[in-house]
Amino acid sequence: MTLFSTAVKNMKGNFRNYLIYFVSMMFSVVIYHTFVSLQYSTDVQASIALSKNVEVTFKTASFVLILFVFIFIWYSNSFFTRKRKKEVALYSLLGVRKRSIGKMLFYENLIISTIVLAAGILIGTLLSKMFGMLLLKLLGTTAEIGFHVSGSAILNTTLVFAVIILITSIQGYRLIYRFKLIDLFQADKQAESVPKASPLLALLAAILLATGYVFISLSFDSESDLMRNYGVAFVGITLGTYLLFRCLTVFLLRLAQKNKARYYRGLNVVGTSQLLFRMRGNVGTLTIIALLSAFTLLATDIAFSQYYTNTKHAEQTSPFSYMHLSQGQAFDEQVNRIIAADSKHAVTAAIDIPVIKSSGRTSSSVVFPERYSEEEDKPVKIISTTTYGVIAKALHLERAVNPAAGEAVAVKTMYTDYSLSDYKKEKLTLELPTRSWELSFSDLLEDRILSWSFPDFVIVICDDLYGDLKDLSSEVLYKAYKVEGESSTAETATELMLLDGAEKAGLTSYYHEYKTGLEDTGIGTFVAVFLGLVFLAATGSILYFKQLTEAHSDKERYTILRKIGVTRKEIRASILKQSLFIFGLPLLLGITHSIVVVNAMSKLFSNLVDVNFTVPVLFSTALYVMIYLFYYILTVTSFNKIVND
Amino acid sequence: MRTIVEARQVKKLFGSKGSVSTALQEIDLTVLEGEFVGIMGPSGSGKSTLLHLIAAIDEPTAGSIHIDGSNLHTMNEEQISKFRRDKLGFLFQDYNLLDTLTVKENILLPLALAKVPVAELELRVEEITDKFGIKPLLAKYPYQLSGGQKQRTAASRAIIARPSLILADEPTGALDSKSATDLLESLKELNEQDQATLLMVTHDAFAASYCSRVLFIKDGTIFTELVKGQTPRKAFFRKILDVLSVLGGGAGDVI
Repeated sequence: MTLFSTAVKNMKGNFRNYLIYFVSMMFSVVIYHTFVSLQYSTDVQASIALSKNVEVTFKTASFVLILFVFIFIWYSNSFFTRKRKKEVALYSLLGVRKRSIGKMLFYENLIISTIVLAAGILIGTLLSKMFGMLLLKLLGTTAEIGFHVSGSAILNTTLVFAVIILITSIQGYRLIYRFKLIDLFQADKQAESVPKASPLLALLAAILLATGYVFISLSFDSESDLMRNYGVAFVGITLGTYLLFRCLTVFLLRLAQKNKARYYRGLNVVGTSQLLFRMRGNVGTLTIIALLSAFTLLATDIAFSQYYTNTKHAEQTSPFSYMHLSQGQAFDEQVNRIIAADSKHAVTAAIDIPVIKSSGRTSSSVVFPERYSEEEDKPVKIISTTTYGVIAKALHLERAVNPAAGEAVAVKTMYTDYSLSDYKKEKLTLELPTRSWELSFSDLLEDRILSWSFPDFVIVICDDLYGDLKDLSSEVLYKAYKVEGESSTAETATELMLLDGAEKAGLTSYYHEYKTGLEDTGIGTFVAVFLGLVFLAATGSILYFKQLTEAHSDKERYTILRKIGVTRKEIRASILKQSLFIFGLPLLLGITHSIVVVNAMSKLFSNLVDVNFTVPVLFSTALYVMIYLFYYILTVTSFNKIVND
Repeated sequence: MRTIVEARQVKKLFGSKGSVSTALQEIDLTVLEGEFVGIMGPSGSGKSTLLHLIAAIDEPTAGSIHIDGSNLHTMNEEQISKFRRDKLGFLFQDYNLLDTLTVKENILLPLALAKVPVAELELRVEEITDKFGIKPLLAKYPYQLSGGQKQRTAASRAIIARPSLILADEPTGALDSKSATDLLESLKELNEQDQATLLMVTHDAFAASYCSRVLFIKDGTIFTELVKGQTPRKAFFRKILDVLSVLGGGAGDVI
């Protein structure tokens, strides 16, 4: 019998135990391969019309994935090797040299990884069409993707994973040399000491977490401020989470022990003590799982929320299907012709919007920041009540406005969440070359009426005042069109964009806003969801293995309990409770972290202000909990099988 | 007086078709309330099998066993667990203490399972640990204890729920002679003062000499029976040795 055939036999025997690991690892190969394939796919590249982030996003995602997979495989490997101490000891006793044992483990790891890699690439290739279609569906493109076997993608995946596999295999080989024969036999006998609850450290954990949460919500003026805040928050939350598991859990369990009426009831006394004994060995794993869960949820929440709000965002940025500054008859008619020629998208409104641009300032420059005045363009766009009526009719807006003389109705600036009361606190001074007017804000319009351009400050005033202003200042004319089915006007929108002078005319189209947003956020969502799934699969399998190892060493305890008359049902219930504690805490903490951070970020980052988070956050959290629940049930079932049969 | 154990025509076969070996053949056994019965016999005689049957850890191939009026045969899994919890106390050679629990928690476990109110539970723990002299050890963990202390903890756990029957499987097997004597004295006291019913399987003639009646099993049948009566313990001990020498095979591993 050669070492190689022994290795093969071992693997066959252990196959069931490692199944979850194989599946998780294979899953990460599949996802990596998918990312790489999509990067190389010409079909996908051809179908992505506007976004320039595709390659960068996928490359970053692949890199994060590799880093994670490396750590995951490294950890699992040393975990398994340690689990097999006894087996290694037996070989040693039989006189097999460490070198040979090491070689055997090296072979085993090599064979397993090669099989997993090959299977992962095969499945990845088979599914690449499906994943490609899924991505394109997210991007709102209906193009067909053919089935391709991408040589360069396979080569890339193989090379990357070959390196990871080689390094981790060598590590398995080296681990053998660190074992001493006597340690091998004593491995399970080491008495675990009961951790003590330190109220000081528990307090520190709470302080660190609170600091992290506060710093993530601090507003910032510069990028360095932002980096400092996020750096502090990251350290605070990470350390806080670790200490929380280290102390607060012990503290809680100790507290549970103090409540004698509950503690001395049924198997609570056993379950609580087991958890307490195990806590120290679990702190690291639980911390990592809580943080990864938080990160995964956060990334998915943000990407998915932006994707979900894309339509609304496009409608706000570009309320009309097309809009441009009048550039004289020739250009205007050319545009009109192109739009009218598109028979699939009938024009429902074509209007002229006269606008006066003026300099201005407000009393305390909250709703009207000073940097607006530093722009070359005059910052205040003024529209008359009559013109607003025309716009409202074209866009089917319900709100009517009727500002008195000396009053202005503000159109809410994009990326802000100021309310009418914020506006009412200020007075607007319009500064025209010869005269200035002071106006107060009487109303606030939530619906946008002009395409976004910086500075974004639009007001509606009464016709009389508009007339007065017009005499002192020049007027510009916007041409705006509304068409049917504006989200599919790819050809017309592109043709308009390519016109000479389109840029000078500030030509905007709903389609471009919509499509660019859809592609950017769609790719982000795709990547975040799949990365999240890999994280989840990996962390789930780590928890699974940890729990099962504990099950094996708990087996004897449960046999004793059975002997003194504990029913299987009671043992099952106790296992459910114990595993719930182990699984539930990191999940709870991960969800809390992600919600706090998303909430803070949505208030701080202007491009997230208008984003609707409620539905996407609920959705992705629910999805996460569901998959996590699957691992919980799997673990509890296996645990129960081990100790309760 | 109440009958605690009533085994009729109990038979136990091991193995499957083709290679059946008989562990017990048609054994009858009656234990009355307040008795301290010892079961002796050489290795492989079936004494542990008998104990397992009475503890409902294993099922007989034929025959019936009644413990304190309930028929083990008609009970399902759940009922058997409840029965073990309510009616039986166990004492094992390797203590079977839970290493994650303190001495106190180990002892009160049967009461916790029976959902006894805390106040009464504390009282009972106090009472019992006083009796076994392990009160100062209550907050310790099993790995901090000596063998004798562990077995006294196990004994406290066995009797705290006031079971109808205490089953002891080689309880002195892993103890030094001083600890063994202490434990046996405690069991005897329990039997005499509290009228506890005990059934003890042992190899050790010295341990058996603390019983009020000793059954000898050989090759799955009851070989003979000795009743202590008014005999002093030392004389009873010699009588047991005599039987063992006749029994053969077992004598070698007596002392």
